[in-house]
Amino acid sequence: MNRWPDPDHALQALARIVSGCEGVQIAMLASRDGRPFVWRSAVAGDSGKLAAMTSSLTALGRTVLRELNAGELDHLLVEGQDGKLVLVGVPGLDGLLVLAVLAERRARLGLVLGHARMCVRALAPGA
Amino acid sequence: MNACHKLVFIGEPGAGKTTCIAALSDIAPVTTDVGCTDDLARRKASTTVALDYGEMDLGEQGMLRLYGLPGQERFRFMFDVVRDGAMGLVVLVDAASAQGLDGLAGTLATYADELRQRPFVLCLNKHPDPPMAFRERCMAMLRDQGLVAPLLVIDARSRSDLAQVFRMLCLLLDHGDYPVLDGERGGA
Repeated sequence: MNRWPDPDHALQALARIVSGCEGVQIAMLASRDGRPFVWRSAVAGDSGKLAAMTSSLTALGRTVLRELNAGELDHLLVEGQDGKLVLVGVPGLDGLLVLAVLAERRARLGLVLGHARMCVRALAPGA
Repeated sequence: MNACHKLVFIGEPGAGKTTCIAALSDIAPVTTDVGCTDDLARRKASTTVALDYGEMDLGEQGMLRLYGLPGQERFRFMFDVVRDGAMGLVVLVDAASAQGLDGLAGTLATYADELRQRPFVLCLNKHPDPPMAFRERCMAMLRDQGLVAPLLVIDARSRSDLAQVFRMLCLLLDHGDYPVLDGERGGA
């Protein structure tokens, strides 16, 4: 049985990242099979494509860690010259949802990751 | 050193791509399945969201590297990830399902441009002898997209059937007229 969080509650959590963490452009929750759940953005973007890529990246990350006997996936970071993407799963939902946060280059990675962790904890069952 | 050949499997969700690679691979297959969260869950519990990977030893003919892609159009970008070096594509169709034709239509709509540039084989799976009307409808759907390809009825879990698909792709490469794409054409 999938336990989807309340969408309004989830949107509020995403809004806190976009407005509260400097340089964050997009925050979205994607289902594990690649569909957008909720999305907050300060810039234009394709939520469907980002959700699908979030799902693929997360699955590949888990697969690589499994092949390397490196334990469970904690987070994924994809960093480029002009931006960075952080992916973190929402705990307690059996991998149902993954948070994707896209930030500008100037954004501090530690802050982005910290906000992302706070967000997924707030969305966990019983939070 | 024997040659390596790269085969890419595409097709609707449930056409048998993951099962095929799991059955044929000589190594433990790499999988990226997750539980379905949409209507597809009524038909199958899990779906591939990145790729499947396996390897099949062909003896003197070399080694086949098998890549299976997700069936949903939203994962179309994964084709760009795996296409370099592919000798050809295998389009799998679930010939035992009433949704097989709809699935093929979706696959062709998503990949028609790529299929025009590469050899591919249309493989009817999961049915030992699909009705002639089903086969003819599949060929008509190809023609409607301006595509031409051999149609094979296979059991995608069968090594001999996949070897036949490989030989067919080799024939297409040898005698077909395909644009040479940078970094592609398999081999080595």
